[in-house]
Amino acid sequence: MNTPLLEVNDLRKVFVDRDFETPVLKGVNFTLQRSEMVAMLGPSGSGKSTLLSILGTLMRPTAGSFRMLGRELTSLKEAELSDFRNQQIGFIFQYHHLLPDFSALENVMFPHAGRLWRETQAGRERAAMLLERVGLSERMHYRATRLSGGQKQRVAIARALMNQPALVLADEPTGNLDRENADQAFALMTEIQRETGTTFLLSTHDRELAERCERRIYIQGGVVVDVPSAARVPLRVVPGDMVAVIDRTQTQATRDQRSIQANERSV
Amino acid sequence: MRFDLKVALRYLLANRLQSALLIGGVAVAVTVFTFNAALINGLAEFQIDRVVGSSSHVTIEPAKLLPKVVPAPAGTERLVATQRALERREQIKQWRSVERVIETLPGVTGVSYNINGTGLVTRGQQTLPVSLKGVEPARLAAIAPIDRNLVAGEARLGLNDVLIGRKLADDLGIRIGQPIFVTSNQGRERTLTVRGLYSTGVDSLDARVAYVNIDTARVMFDLPEGLTEIEIKLADIYAARAVAKQLADTTGLEVTAWMDKNQRLREALEGQGSSGNIIKMFTLITIVVGVASALLLTTFRRRPEIGIMRSFGISQRFVLSVFMLQGALIGILGSLVGCFLGWGFSSLLVQAGRSSGRALPVDPSLGQYDVALLLAAAASIAAALWPARAASRIDPVEAISQ
Repeated sequence: MNTPLLEVNDLRKVFVDRDFETPVLKGVNFTLQRSEMVAMLGPSGSGKSTLLSILGTLMRPTAGSFRMLGRELTSLKEAELSDFRNQQIGFIFQYHHLLPDFSALENVMFPHAGRLWRETQAGRERAAMLLERVGLSERMHYRATRLSGGQKQRVAIARALMNQPALVLADEPTGNLDRENADQAFALMTEIQRETGTTFLLSTHDRELAERCERRIYIQGGVVVDVPSAARVPLRVVPGDMVAVIDRTQTQATRDQRSIQANERSV
Repeated sequence: MRFDLKVALRYLLANRLQSALLIGGVAVAVTVFTFNAALINGLAEFQIDRVVGSSSHVTIEPAKLLPKVVPAPAGTERLVATQRALERREQIKQWRSVERVIETLPGVTGVSYNINGTGLVTRGQQTLPVSLKGVEPARLAAIAPIDRNLVAGEARLGLNDVLIGRKLADDLGIRIGQPIFVTSNQGRERTLTVRGLYSTGVDSLDARVAYVNIDTARVMFDLPEGLTEIEIKLADIYAARAVAKQLADTTGLEVTAWMDKNQRLREALEGQGSSGNIIKMFTLITIVVGVASALLLTTFRRRPEIGIMRSFGISQRFVLSVFMLQGALIGILGSLVGCFLGWGFSSLLVQAGRSSGRALPVDPSLGQYDVALLLAAAASIAAALWPARAASRIDPVEAISQ
C-alpha cells in the first residue's frame, strides 16, 4: 500500500497550432496517495484542465510520464487507455454532461453497461445504490433533463463512481452551482471519498472548498507547487508558491507576473 | 437487449421527426425500386409471354448439310467458300432417337413433331401463300394454345381437315366447313375442309399459318419418314439455352433457343433491364446520401455526448456500433415500409388497370423485394459507416469543452 496512487514526472504539454507553439504544462511533478482528497488551485489558463485531461488519459502529454497504480500510462494504446479509464478513473465536470435521452439510473449505469455491451442486474443494483447514496433514489427513472442543476451534478457524481474507480478527477465540479448546492455536492464528495477510499483530485476556484480538502496543489503558469498536507497552510500565505514560474515568452512572463501580483493583492 | 442497440434505439426515438423522415426517405426510395422492378419485370414477362407463349422455346431443325472438304495439310489454312447444298432435302431422319433424348429431359412441358412447308391456298380467284404446319392431332396445342385460341369450329385435325387463322379466313372470305384448295411447294394438290378458326393475336400466325394433320403433310411434302422440325416447350423458359446446347451436343442437329430466334425481343428486354437498373442505382444513391448526411448531422449534434461517453471509457468500437446500428435500423425499417408500399402501389395499379379494362404490365410479384431489402439495408449501413467513424474518432476533450 506504500506505492502512491499516482506519480507525475516532469509532465509537459505544448499545444501546436500551425507554427505557433503554446506550452501549457512546463514540467509538472507531484504524487497522489491512495484515499486522498486533494484540491488543485490556480488561475484560469494555468493548465489545470489540461493536466486533468492528461491524468484522465483523455489527452497525451508532449513529454514526461505518469504512473497510476504502478502502471505507466503514457505508453498505452488508445483502446487500452479507454479500458483503463473505464475501470480506474471517474470524471466529474463543471457542467454535469449527463446524457439527456437517458434516465438518471441509465446515466449512472452507462460506464458499466457500455463496457460489457449489455445491462446487468448487478450494474442496475449498484447504480440504484449510488443514486440512493446521493439522495436521488426517488428520481431514479427521471430523464436527466427533468432534474435540477444540483440533482444533475449529484447524478454525475454517482456516475463517476459507478465502476469503483481508484481516482476521481473533478474539474470545477461546483463551478456551476449556487452556494447551497455547491456545499451539498462537496460534502457528498467528501463523505463518499471517506467511505470508499477513492482518491479525489478536484480543481476549483472556490478557496473555501479547497481549504476543506486534506491537501492542495497550487498550479500556476504550467508548473505545480505542492503544499504539504500536514501543514494545512491557509492559502493566503503563499507567496512562496510562485517560485517555479518559468518564462514562456517575454510577454507571457509579464502576464504571469501580473496575475501573481493580482493574486497577492486579493489575499 | 444489447446495450449498443438500446442506445441506438434511444437516439432514433429521441428525434422522432428526423427518424421518421429518414425512414420515410428510405421507404420512398425502396418503393421506387420495387415498383420499378415490378414494372420492368412485368413488362418483360408480358413481352416474353406474347412472343414465347405461342411459339416454341427450343426448336430442332435438320443439320445444315455442309459439303465435305479434304482437310488442309498441316500448317496451312484452307478457306472454302460454299453454297448451301440444296440437292438433298434437309430433314430429321432419325427423329425417333431424338424423341428418346427429349423424353429424358427434365422440365419439358410440351413437344411437337412437325412437317412444315409452304404452299398456296386458292379459293375462287384468290390465291394466298401459306405456311403449312403438319402436326400430330394429339399434340396440336403443345406449342401454341390453338385449342384455347379457337374462335370458331373445333380443334379437330382429320386427314382432310385444316385449321386456319381468322385473318387468313377473312382474306379468303371463307367460313367453317367450307373447302379450300391447297397446293404444296412439291406440287401436290389437295382439297381440305376448314374445321376451325383461331386467333392468337400474333399476326404472322393468324394470317400465314395453316395447321394440317402430319400424315397429310407427309404426302403433300413427299417426306415418307423424316420430320422438318421438332418444337419443345419448357417449364422454365430461361433454361432454353442450356437445353438447346445439350440437345445440339447429343443429336448433332441444329437446335435454337427462343432468345436466339428473337434478337429484337432480347435487345428490347436488355434495354429495359439496364434502364431499370440505372433507376435502381439512383434510388440506392439517394439512400446513401440521405442517410449519411442525416447521421452526420446527428453525430455533430451529439458530439459532447459522445465525448462524455469516451471520457468514461466507452470504447470507440461501441460508439461506432451505436451509429452503424442507427443506419441499419433506418435501412431495415425503411425498406420494409418501402417494400410494402411498392407492393401496394403495384397491386393498386394492376387493380385499377383491370377495372378500367386496360391491363397494365405491372406484376407485383416481381418487385424483387428481397433484393431491395438487402440492397437498401446494405446501402444504409454503408452510409452510416462514415458518420459512425467520425463519431468514434471524436476527441473527447474538444467535444466536452464545446
